[in-house]
Amino acid sequence: MATRGARQIERVRASAHEGFLRHRNFLWLKIATLLSILFITGYALIDVTPRHNGGSWYGYTLGTIGALLILWLTVLGLRKRAMTRGRWSLKAWTSAHVYLGLSLLVIGTLHTGFQFGWNVHTLAYALMVLVILSGIYGIVVYSTLPDAMSDNRSAMTKAQMIDAITKLDRQLQIAAQPLSHEDTAIVSESLREDPFRAGIFRRLSGSDRACRNARALRQLKARLTIAVEAEEDALQAVVQLMDRKAAALQRIRSAMRIRAMLEVWLYVHVPITFALIAALSVHIISVFFYW
Amino acid sequence: MTFRLNQKSVSAEGREIRRERSVEGERLTIGRAPTNDVHLTDLAVALNHAIVQRVGPLRLSVQAEEGLGLELNGRKVTSGFIELAGGGEVRIASHLLRFLPMAADAQEIEVDVERVGESAAEEMDRIDVRRFSVGAVLPSKRISAYVLIALVLGIFLAWPIWVYSQREPADAQAILTAQRKDDGTGVAAPKQASFSPDSMWSSGPLSQVHHGLEQQCSACHVNAFEPVQDSACAACHTNVHNHGDRTRPPAEAFGRYLRSFPVLTGWAKIERAVADAFGKSAGRCVDCHTEHEGPQQMPRTAQRFCADCHTDLTARLPDTRIGNASDFGRAHPEFSPAVLIDWSGEQPRHQRIPLNRNPSENGNLKFPHDIHLNAGGAATQMTRRLSDRYRGRQQLGCADCHTPTADGVRFEPVDMEQDCAACHTLAFDEQDGVYRTLRHGSPQQVIADLREYYRGRGPARPAELGTGARRRPGDIGQVRTALQYARARAGAGAAANNAIAAVFREGGACYDCHTIDQRGPLDFHVRPVGWQNRFLINGWFDHRAHVNVTLQGQNMSGDQACLTCHVADRSNQASNLMIPGLESCQRCHVGENSNQQVIGQRVESSCAMCHDYHMDEGVPAMILRQRVRGNRWESTTIPVAQQGASPPRAR
Repeated sequence: MATRGARQIERVRASAHEGFLRHRNFLWLKIATLLSILFITGYALIDVTPRHNGGSWYGYTLGTIGALLILWLTVLGLRKRAMTRGRWSLKAWTSAHVYLGLSLLVIGTLHTGFQFGWNVHTLAYALMVLVILSGIYGIVVYSTLPDAMSDNRSAMTKAQMIDAITKLDRQLQIAAQPLSHEDTAIVSESLREDPFRAGIFRRLSGSDRACRNARALRQLKARLTIAVEAEEDALQAVVQLMDRKAAALQRIRSAMRIRAMLEVWLYVHVPITFALIAALSVHIISVFFYW
Repeated sequence: MTFRLNQKSVSAEGREIRRERSVEGERLTIGRAPTNDVHLTDLAVALNHAIVQRVGPLRLSVQAEEGLGLELNGRKVTSGFIELAGGGEVRIASHLLRFLPMAADAQEIEVDVERVGESAAEEMDRIDVRRFSVGAVLPSKRISAYVLIALVLGIFLAWPIWVYSQREPADAQAILTAQRKDDGTGVAAPKQASFSPDSMWSSGPLSQVHHGLEQQCSACHVNAFEPVQDSACAACHTNVHNHGDRTRPPAEAFGRYLRSFPVLTGWAKIERAVADAFGKSAGRCVDCHTEHEGPQQMPRTAQRFCADCHTDLTARLPDTRIGNASDFGRAHPEFSPAVLIDWSGEQPRHQRIPLNRNPSENGNLKFPHDIHLNAGGAATQMTRRLSDRYRGRQQLGCADCHTPTADGVRFEPVDMEQDCAACHTLAFDEQDGVYRTLRHGSPQQVIADLREYYRGRGPARPAELGTGARRRPGDIGQVRTALQYARARAGAGAAANNAIAAVFREGGACYDCHTIDQRGPLDFHVRPVGWQNRFLINGWFDHRAHVNVTLQGQNMSGDQACLTCHVADRSNQASNLMIPGLESCQRCHVGENSNQQVIGQRVESSCAMCHDYHMDEGVPAMILRQRVRGNRWESTTIPVAQQGASPPRAR
C-alpha cells in the first residue's frame, strides 16, 4: 500500500510541473541552510590556534568538504546528459547542485578564515566565488527570462523571424529597382545587414548602433525630403519596407538578447569551473609541496 | 552580328530556369534599367552599368559607366577587351556574363548570364536558427576550459616548480644579515628580493622579523613535501634554550619534557594522530611560532599553552620541583627564592625556600632597616647633621643606599664607602684636618695599618676606643729616653694588639656590621657579605615597572612605593628576607582574561609576563617586545661566526 501511495505521489509530482528550485518542497535548500548554519556555528564556537585559517583542523576539514563538494558539483555536467526520474532524478540532482553550490560559498569562505592575499589560494577562492555568482545569475535568469522570451516572440519561431527578414529583403530588392545607383547603394547596405554578426556584448545590449538597416533608413529618409514625383514614390515604398525590416530586426535582437542572457553565464560558469579545479589542485599541491 | 543570351536563374523551389534571347547589333548594354539589353536586377548594378561593343572580328570592348567598375576575367577594371577566340567573363555585382569562345566565321556571340550570388550552403547558414545562440559568437566552453586550465597550471604550478628545481636552498641568515643595518641595530629598509614565482603559493605575509624572506621560500621549506623542520629555525636561532630542566643532561631533560605532556584523549588524540600521519610531529618550533599570519610581531604566548601541561604537572612528573600553576591569580605556587642561607665557608650556600616558610637570609651583614628608617631615631639625627649630603632632608630614604642598575631592573650592591661611610666613619687619626681611615674590605690592611700606627708612635689608645687623651705626633721623641723608648716600643706592640682585637671583637668598628671569625689570638676573618641581586631565578621581576604603584585607589611613588611591597620599616634584622610573597603580587596581578577583583590596579598577567618558554634568564620575550617596540635589535639570532660569545639579550 505504502509503495503504491508513494508511487502515486511521485506520479502526481511528475505531472504537476515542479521546478528544480522548489523540488520536494525546498528539501535541498533546507539541507544546505542547515549545513551552513552548522559550519558557521562551528567556526564561532571552535577555538583553534592561533586563529581560524585553512591550516587549522577545522580549516582542513572545511577545505576537504569544499573540495569534494566542488568535484561533485562539477559532475552535474555529466549527470545532466542522462535524464532520469524518481528519487535520484536529474531534477533532484540539479536542485541539490543549486543549493549545495550556494552553501559552498559559506564553506569556502570559512575555510579561508578571512585571510586573503595575492596568491594561488585566494585565486582559487575568487574563481569559486565567480562560479557561484554566475550560477546565481543563471538561476535568476532561468526563473525570470523564459516568460519574457515567449512574450517577445509573439508566437513566432526563430526560423519564421529569419524568414521575415528574407522576405522583406526580397521585397526591398524589387521595390528598389527604380532607384538611382546612389540610392540603391544605400538599400544594398540595408540588405547586407546581418543581425547575427553581433558579438556577445552587442547581443546582450539588445540593440545595434551600427545596424546597417537603421543607418540606411536614416539616409533614405533624408533623401525622401528632397525627392520628387516617381522617385519619391519609389523611395516611400522602400522606406516603408525598411521600417518593417527594422521592426523585424528588433524582434530578432530581443530574442537574441534574452537568449544571450540565458546562455552567457554558462560560458563563465563552465570554463571557470575547470579553471577553479585547476587552481584548487595547485592550491592543494602547493600546500603539501611547502608543507 | 547577334548576341545570343542564355539567362539562367533558380526558382524559389530550386528549379533552374533558362531563358534564351537574341540581341541584334554590335552593342550590348548592361544595367538594372529594364531598357538595357541585359537586365540585371541586383541593386548593386547601376541603371546603366556597362556597354559591350564589337571592335574587331573577334574582339569586344567592355566599358563601364563613368565611376563604376566591373570584373573582367577576374580583374577589377573600368574597361577592357575580350578576345572572342578564347572567350571571357565579365562580372558585375552578383551577375556573371560568360562570353563563350567562338570560331572566326561564326555569326553569333553566345553569352551565358547567371547569378552567382549566395551558394546553397550560404543560404542554409543564413537561415540557421542556431545563430540565435551565443555559442555562435563565443569560443566553445570546452576550448575556454582547456585554455584556462593550461594557464592556471602553467603559471601557478609548473613555473614555481621549475624555478624551485633550478635553485639552491636559500641561506636565510645571509639574506637577513645583508638586510640588517650596518651597526646591527635593526632592519634597514628591507631590500625585497626579486619576485620568485613560488611566493604565489605563500598563504600570507610573514611576520615582521622574517619579512626579508618573503621571496625565499626554500629558506624554511627546505625539501619539497617535507614539513618545516626545527633545523631550519636553528640554522639562524642558535641561541635558543630548550624548554625543560636545564640542570639535567639534555637527553634526560627532553625525556621529562615529553613525559610532562598531558595525555591526549578524544578529539585531541585524533587530531594528533592525523597531524602525525601527515608528518607534522608534536613539539616543533612552528607549533607555536606560526608563520604566514601577516606582518605582525610574534604573538605572545597565551596562558593556556603553559597551563596545558603545568596545571597538573606533578601528576606526570612526581619528582619535579616546580609546583602546579594554571593562573597567576588563582593557582600559582608561592615564590621560592634562592636564599643565601650560609656563607661561612669558601662558597655561599643557597637554598630555594618558599616564602611562606619564612626563610631568613644569612648574608653575614648586620643591618636593621627599621633603625635607619625610623623618623625619630639616631639615623635621622645623623641625616639632619649631614644636611650637605642629604640635601636638607630630615630622614633617610631607600635611594640613599639602594642605587638602581642601569636598566632599572635590579639594584647595585650597597657600597660601604658610598652608602654607609658618611655616618659609619672608619677614621682613627687626624693630621692637620686630614683623617686617616681604616681600609674597608681589607682586614689584613687594617691590621697592618694599626701596627704601623703604634710602632711609630708608641702605645696609645686607638681613636676608636674614644677614651683618654689622644697622643700628639712628635711628643713622644722629646719625653722618652732610649730605654723608655725601647720599653715603650714593646708596650706599643701590646697596645697595637689590643687595638686590633678591639676593632674586630664585639664593640669594635668591624663587629658592628660584620660577622667575624677569630681563628687565632690575632687571626680575624671577616665573612664575605652576600649581596643577591636576583632572588627569583626562573621568574622575571622588573623594579622599573613598579616605580609607581596604585593600591586601593592611592597612587604611590618613591619610598612609599618601595614600602608597599618591602616592609623595610618594620625589619629589625638584615636576615629578614623582604622579598614580597605571592599574595603581595596578587594585590594587582591576576591571570590572563581573568575576572578576578583586586585591591590594586588590575594587571592581567599571562605566564609570559614573568616566564619565558625557552628558559632564558633574561627578559621574557613578551616584555622585551613591549619595551623595545622595534627600536632595538634584539634577537635570539647571533651570527654563526660569534657562536659561544655572550648572548645578546639584556640581562
